[in-house]
Amino acid sequence: MKRWLLRGTPLVAFLALWQWAAWVPVSFNFPTPWQTLVALSELLGSGALLQATATSLQSLVLGFGAAMVIGVPLGLLMGVVRGVGRVARVYLDLLIALPSAALIPLVILSFGISIVSSAVIIFVFSVPFITMNAYGGVRDTRPRLVEMARSFGASWGKLFTRIVVPSAAPMILAGLRLGLSRAFLGLIVAELLLSPFGLGKLIMISRSMFEHDKMFATVLWTLVLSGVALAVLARVETRLLRWRAG
Amino acid sequence: MTPLLTPEPAFDRAGLAALAGLLIVWEILGRLQLTIFIPSASSVAAAWWELLNNGTLLRSAGSSLFSLAKGFIPAAVLGVALGLAMGRFPTLREVLDGWINALMSAPLSALVPVLIALFGVRDTVVAATVFLFAFFVIVVNTMTGVRGTERSLVDMARSYGAGETALFARIYLPANTFLIPELYAVIVSVLVVALLCASVVQACERALVRWK
Amino acid sequence: MTGPVGIAIEGVSKRFGAVQALVDIDIHVKAGEFLALIGPSGCGKTTLLKCVSGLVAADGGRIVVGSRTVTGPGGREASLVFQDFALLPWATARENAEFGLLLRGAPAAERTAAARQALAKVGLAGSFEDAYPSQLSGGMQQRVGLARALAVNPQVLLMDEPFASIDEQTRRILQDDLLRLWSDERKTVVLVTHSMEEAIYLSDRVVVLSPRPGRVHRALDVPLPRPREALDVRASAEFARLVDELWQILKKMQ
Repeated sequence: MKRWLLRGTPLVAFLALWQWAAWVPVSFNFPTPWQTLVALSELLGSGALLQATATSLQSLVLGFGAAMVIGVPLGLLMGVVRGVGRVARVYLDLLIALPSAALIPLVILSFGISIVSSAVIIFVFSVPFITMNAYGGVRDTRPRLVEMARSFGASWGKLFTRIVVPSAAPMILAGLRLGLSRAFLGLIVAELLLSPFGLGKLIMISRSMFEHDKMFATVLWTLVLSGVALAVLARVETRLLRWRAG
Repeated sequence: MTPLLTPEPAFDRAGLAALAGLLIVWEILGRLQLTIFIPSASSVAAAWWELLNNGTLLRSAGSSLFSLAKGFIPAAVLGVALGLAMGRFPTLREVLDGWINALMSAPLSALVPVLIALFGVRDTVVAATVFLFAFFVIVVNTMTGVRGTERSLVDMARSYGAGETALFARIYLPANTFLIPELYAVIVSVLVVALLCASVVQACERALVRWK
Repeated sequence: MTGPVGIAIEGVSKRFGAVQALVDIDIHVKAGEFLALIGPSGCGKTTLLKCVSGLVAADGGRIVVGSRTVTGPGGREASLVFQDFALLPWATARENAEFGLLLRGAPAAERTAAARQALAKVGLAGSFEDAYPSQLSGGMQQRVGLARALAVNPQVLLMDEPFASIDEQTRRILQDDLLRLWSDERKTVVLVTHSMEEAIYLSDRVVVLSPRPGRVHRALDVPLPRPREALDVRASAEFARLVDELWQILKKMQ
């Protein structure tokens, strides 16, 4: 109880600061928290927000799902087959270091303005992190454990499923969480910059019509949405990794 | 936090071969002239060289670096300060940890329209965006570092009478800077690569325009 | 500082949450005495040492080092020596040895002189001064840790399993060096250890703590002749008998 009160204080402080900033006002057309909340309920009531969310989630599931299905096995393969790892790492490092947004024009040119191109951008944003973490997880497997299993005559397959994959699991899951966070980033970047669908489109429309309260409401909704999704994934992660100390 | 970047040399022989392969495939694709959207590597390099020579590249790199610094330096100073404090004081950590973590992984780019509405001026928006992106990551990394600082080092310093200030200056700060040169390496390389890529994109545009 | 001082531990208790770590501990360490604390893991011997150093605040009771009642860390009478050495990885051997003086605000010249002297005492003079901990073996690292403790010229050395993570051969050499240092410098030493041989070989008296909650179980005097490092005491029948006596005490305690 006391814990939740403590954790709530930053939220209260933030709302107070926001209220104050709207009061001054720091900028013209800066909605108060209350106005934003009203706009949020209107958007929810009219169904516009839910529809936009559904559209956005569609490309998110497509892009992130593909990143997961391709990234994890690729990372494991890279970790197990040394040569593949050494070559693929370079491309993935490049992808991580590149401002991924720079790839957007290329993606749009190849896939046109569609949900698919949003999904591709999401994929590009998240896949390097998922892959590199799976790769790192395999590489961090304690050699002692491998030796132990081999001393019992473990086959290659047993070694992989019983030692390597469980050892890599924490990093794989952390990679998925990182990847999901990057996927949301990619979603927003794609929808704001180039392929106007879903939540990004809603934000841009309310911005162009100077409905700042609606824009704030949509942005807030997006942040909360990603926060909830990440929290759920974190919960799953703790559940799966019960054996970890602390 | 799990280590994302492993301290293995980035470009060993296989890595260089992979890079060379990428360039060769790019060149071939460009030469094949499948679409006008893929200029060959050599033509991009030529355009790049020209931009570098006439100073356009340096000027734009300079201005990007400047707005980057305007956001990054305050983020680093404030972020390290808050991270140290959160690592040291459990109550503060209890209050802020969840929020900072959530914000670190939130799609903060959604805030860019809000920032534009707030600040209007392009330069300030860029600085504010850089600040937001860097701040939370720095806080979390610093806090993790402080908490990971070996207990016995802290005990040792306290046993010689170190107060809070001395602990910060003599243990936490050096333990989290001297020990992780990788952090600096990553920051510098990310900045350099970001600038490089920005200039490559520019060069690509130049190459495209010339073909039209 | 001049001359060794005694330590009075009177009725000390400590609780961590639901775990009662120490109950009503009474130990008096005479000035210049070498005292060993031994007991199974979880008996609170390290906690007791931390209480004496002031790093951990006792819930009840009183600890007096020399004439000062311990209220917090940083007392000038005592220096700690750590099991994992607690060396700053970013500092050279000399800088590490200077660290205690640095925190106490000693001027640079004085620090350097004291650190050099302390390093020489532990056998690390010369080129080792500029080595980083990672370039030194475990035994040499603990020598640096010992030099840091000696550089502030304390009257009391509090040693928390100082040789536990050092290989057996090096450990024996370090033990002999410690005995030599102790007879040269006449300091009061409280040594926490889990090695029966080490406790008997080094100390004047062994205090046995029982686990959960930690209490003083028994004290055993060690009347072996000194200087033990010169007399090959380890090979004597009396040494073997004392180690066995200590073992019988610990065994019955289970």
